[in-house]
Amino acid sequence: MNYQFDFEALLPYWQSFLQGAITTIQMTIVAVAIGLVIGVLCAIARRSAYPWLRFLVGIYIETVRNTPFIVQIFFIFFGLSSMGLTMPVFFASVFAMVINVGAYTAEIVRAGMEAVHPSQIEAAEALGLSRFQIYRDIILMPSIERVYPALTSQFILMMLSTSITSQISAEELTGVANNIQSYTFRSFETYIVIAVIYLMITYLLRFGFYAIALAIFPRRRKLGTPL
Amino acid sequence: MKTIMKVAVAATAALMIVATAAQADILENIKKSGKVRIAVAMGSPEYSYVDGDLKATGSDVETARLIAKDLGVKLELIEITNAARVPTVQTGKADLLVSALGITDERKKAIDYSVPYATLSLIVAAPKTVEIKNYADLAGKRIGVTRATTNDMDITQNAPGAQIVRFEDDATLITAAVSGQVDIISSQSAVLGGLNKKRTSNPLELKFTQKETNLGIALPKGEKPLQDWLNNWVKTNFANGTLRAVFKEFHNRDLPDDLTSR
Repeated sequence: MNYQFDFEALLPYWQSFLQGAITTIQMTIVAVAIGLVIGVLCAIARRSAYPWLRFLVGIYIETVRNTPFIVQIFFIFFGLSSMGLTMPVFFASVFAMVINVGAYTAEIVRAGMEAVHPSQIEAAEALGLSRFQIYRDIILMPSIERVYPALTSQFILMMLSTSITSQISAEELTGVANNIQSYTFRSFETYIVIAVIYLMITYLLRFGFYAIALAIFPRRRKLGTPL
Repeated sequence: MKTIMKVAVAATAALMIVATAAQADILENIKKSGKVRIAVAMGSPEYSYVDGDLKATGSDVETARLIAKDLGVKLELIEITNAARVPTVQTGKADLLVSALGITDERKKAIDYSVPYATLSLIVAAPKTVEIKNYADLAGKRIGVTRATTNDMDITQNAPGAQIVRFEDDATLITAAVSGQVDIISSQSAVLGGLNKKRTSNPLELKFTQKETNLGIALPKGEKPLQDWLNNWVKTNFANGTLRAVFKEFHNRDLPDDLTSR
């Protein structure tokens, strides 16, 4: 065995690792929060009575879901900039992530909505609930609760995809790691360290999503069973 | 968790076996297998790029072809990114690397080099209206570089006040400058011509030369027979003019006469 592990060479850079991890988490939280709203709105629009609205949202969702994330990032960062619309790299990265996660969320939430039985809506109508109440309490919240695990894994995938933004000079965890390995030539150790950090962030996010689920879905809190 | 750890340990062990296998005499291996694996980071103008017919060319690529020819084996060109240059050699993923890699003391701790075979001129470029004469003038300004290059290290060291924006390869850096994401760049002199052809408004001009770096062919540490063969090859082909002609064909300038003894 010839390889000598030397993690000590990375010690002076612990603050850079930490800063990179923080940037990754920040990008993820902002992108997921906005992306979720856009996704839900798009899911509602896809069930709209207006064909043109269904068509437009369909184009957006299909385009995003059928092109690679890196192409979307390059399009936003370089393409829009060539047309005179320059934005800082953090903003451009988050913007691309919002567009990406919004489309996937829309399809996941729509799947949940399709699963709501029509008789439930009829029952709500018979009880005299308003259209808004029906959408919020009978369709939206139960369907989000039903697809919550799928949403969680989509958001965690998004967190891992932030690594791609290092290509456009974002200094998130992978970008930082690429710098550090080029100073220290300890590439194996560097990537082991960030793999562990990514794993920790994943568990952190999972825990966060679990806590949110407990807070917003009373059934889970009270009965301890998912829908 | 237990299973994850087990998998991780197994994977690590497997990697180590691979690393051990790669430690045999590379020169002998090359001759036995009939092919040499040479890594090149593509996308460096004049050094390594794809031409109009999507064929890899440039002074580094042609140098790699000459090496394979004189070894009497087939060339397997391994295309990598800039940041992967040193690790690729370090881990034996390639036998050699001919990729505009400057010879530095830090890198020498991780890999071995041949004697210099070419040079690279590091420059800072910016639009006419921007006042930059030296490193100190870069303070507070956004400057684009390619990650893990000698430019990156030089600017990081000498212009601590600058805001450095790191891109993955020269091609992405050039795209960033063309699309207006960055206006000031530190790169090699060869990129300017092609860059300004695409960036028609507000072109970049040479502000100052950081330094002239000697480039070496990189190989894994401790491969004495291969290193001797390479040194001998570079010296011979420099003396008979082959290497100088290849360089001049792409860069339009001559290499210094004392290069191989530097």
